[in-house]
Amino acid sequence: MTKELENKLREEVRNLLEKGKVDRVIGYGAGSLRFAATPLIISDKADVDRLIINPFIHNNLSVFLPDVSGKVAIVAKECDARSIISLVQNKQIPRENVYIIGVPCSGIIDLGKVEKLTGLDRDEIDDISWQGDKVTIASAGGAKEFTAQEVLADSCLGCDAGGFREFDLVIGEMKPVAADKELIRKRIKDMEAMSPAERWEFWKNEFSRCIRCYACRQICPVCFCDRCFVEETEPQWISPLPRWQDNLIFQAVRMMHVAGRCTDCGECERACPVNIPLGILTGKMEDIVEELFEYRAGMDKDAPPLMAAYQPEEAEDLIR
Amino acid sequence: MDSFEPKIVAFCCNWCSYAGADLAGTSRMQYPPNIRIIRVMCSGRVNPSFVLKALSVGADGVLVLGCHPGDCHYLTGNYRARRRMAIAKKFLEYMGVEPERIQVGWCSASEGSRFAELVGEVTDNLRQLSPNRMFND
Amino acid sequence: MKKIKKQSVRGLLEKWQKDFSVFVPSKASGSSQMAVWDGQDLAFLDRNRNTVVPPKANFLPNIEKMFGFRKEEDGYVLEPADEDAPRQLIFGIHPCDARAIAIIDMVFRDAYEDKYYLSRRQNTVLVGMACAAPYDNCFCTSLGFGPADATDVDIMLTDIGDSFVIEEITDRGKEAVAGAKDVVEATPADEKKAGEVKASARAMLSKEIDTDEIAKRLPAAFDDKSFWEEIAAKCVSCGICTFLCPTCYCFDINDEMLKDGSGARYRNWDCCSFAVYTRMPAENPREEKWRRVRQKVYHKYSFYPELFGIIGCTGCGRCIRQCPVNWDITETLNNLPAGSAARTEEKQKPS
Repeated sequence: MTKELENKLREEVRNLLEKGKVDRVIGYGAGSLRFAATPLIISDKADVDRLIINPFIHNNLSVFLPDVSGKVAIVAKECDARSIISLVQNKQIPRENVYIIGVPCSGIIDLGKVEKLTGLDRDEIDDISWQGDKVTIASAGGAKEFTAQEVLADSCLGCDAGGFREFDLVIGEMKPVAADKELIRKRIKDMEAMSPAERWEFWKNEFSRCIRCYACRQICPVCFCDRCFVEETEPQWISPLPRWQDNLIFQAVRMMHVAGRCTDCGECERACPVNIPLGILTGKMEDIVEELFEYRAGMDKDAPPLMAAYQPEEAEDLIR
Repeated sequence: MDSFEPKIVAFCCNWCSYAGADLAGTSRMQYPPNIRIIRVMCSGRVNPSFVLKALSVGADGVLVLGCHPGDCHYLTGNYRARRRMAIAKKFLEYMGVEPERIQVGWCSASEGSRFAELVGEVTDNLRQLSPNRMFND
Repeated sequence: MKKIKKQSVRGLLEKWQKDFSVFVPSKASGSSQMAVWDGQDLAFLDRNRNTVVPPKANFLPNIEKMFGFRKEEDGYVLEPADEDAPRQLIFGIHPCDARAIAIIDMVFRDAYEDKYYLSRRQNTVLVGMACAAPYDNCFCTSLGFGPADATDVDIMLTDIGDSFVIEEITDRGKEAVAGAKDVVEATPADEKKAGEVKASARAMLSKEIDTDEIAKRLPAAFDDKSFWEEIAAKCVSCGICTFLCPTCYCFDINDEMLKDGSGARYRNWDCCSFAVYTRMPAENPREEKWRRVRQKVYHKYSFYPELFGIIGCTGCGRCIRQCPVNWDITETLNNLPAGSAARTEEKQKPS
């Protein structure tokens, strides 16, 4: 199945490059480690056969778009495609310079979850195969079977793909992700059930681990400011020292700055080397934006960015 | 619990609410002295980072005041502030900041009494809470 | 050589706890790092893997108070930070991470005597653990040592199933083991078993680089802008590879002042992947991403050998494994342009 898709993708991309419709293609290539996929930016059609599609292509490639010149074709899952449109809405890239190639996505397998479930390192796993609703993980100790929901990335469990209309081309047939919204909502519901003091304590504890590598910010396609507020010195908003207070302010302000641009693609949480559950924040932020303003980021290229627009009457119940 | 005197940082827009505060003063209206006003040109200037910065350096509450909807000197600044602050309020509440600590309101240049009332209400609200020790180790 | 049964290690750790803060590989905090042993968890005895956050954090903490100061009538008065670091014992450090500490020594002990670092270093005992299951990203054997190299630790343990074989490497190591209950002489069979474990670990390593070839190619590759642009294209300029690198030591210094004029000076990790790292009022010599990526590679593989005669990388592979885009330094090193093709664009600019 994925082989067919890959061949189709390569054929289409070769075609685009040959006809000169695009100068560059951003897609996924095989990574250097087991199961890893890596972003691949090519301009030569000799490299087309390096493009891959599989259940490990987690990267949101739209993060590279503002830096890649010329006309660019980009391989995108639906969640990532929303980030592309979010960039267009925010005038970071012109729509006509991007050719969005949609790939069917049934969800991304979270290797961290696989490791936890099997008690193995990814290096000890020989094969991960996905058939229907079952994911089989083979290692020297034998094969183990899990349901797709058990190993899918959290962001995929909350997937609400289906309404996106901006693809320039779709490879194969889009099919729904085996999402389990109840499961992923649970993280947010559990948080809401706590008292303010408990919630604050929770985040204090999480952010005390933060080493301020800024991977969450750097991997984020919609964190596109030339100069981030954390690096300003006059006034200095937060200390460069990674104290939990400053780490928390950094992340809270970052989240509020990307409200209405963030599509909850999950990359910030995946990138975090110290496992801070940022998805609980991005997921909630998407909810807040939808609930208050009936707005979903990256769905309509002609809609103004959330923060650049208003309705005469809205959110007045929050105002004195 | 012993009641305490909260410290409140208020961001007032230059054209309406700051003038409203002025009027309250020149009219010799009484309002609690718990408030420290920072004048901004427009409520739309208030970045959510201002709110967190104020709370992190010890403010017990933050009050953002702008012109009434439709009255903004820059036409739409307060509408933008409304979106920003509504999100900030909801989101920070979710992270564990008590909702009373972040207050947003409208107050025109002619509403000196409203200004005094707002400050009174917000101060009373905050007195019900405990002092802000959120950012203490 | 000596040995100790696994079930007796608890006793040994408890003995050490009397004299040291005992650090062990732990995930209790939510991230994988060396953490103070809680007296309970012993999972790391059977399954010992490199922590995500390297043990360099025990020597160069991410927040280090250098000194305090306060304002008096006739100027500032300095208040030194804690004189002596507490005695610590790091249990289960892998040879690659121990080598990394030896490499950092060259900067903070030999080239310059950094009292903060030295005080921690001198008060630390390293209890190494031979790496039994290297990851796919590991390439330590290409850097002149291996997964069981005991050169840089005080004591080396090798897991032989129900026991650990103990090698006492330094006097400090001997002292730490001396008088420990349940430590007995290892039999020749134990030593043979340990040898097999080490050899099998070595055989598991598949990643390779050719350091001689790299040394030959690096000088000319420096100016090949198009090469660096291409390999840097997918880097997102985050700090993971450097912050999690066991040999990266770059730091930033900040003063924090209170209104009354008192305050303190702190040191924290900094990172050459960030554009702000080299930002100066007039210009930024490494504003472009490819220059920063190149800097990282050269610092480890060119500047370190020039200054200290050793490559500043231990092949632990954290930068590959933890990288959010799987940027792989070995791919870069193995594909350096050969010789004369180098462009001259760079030559006019002093770097």
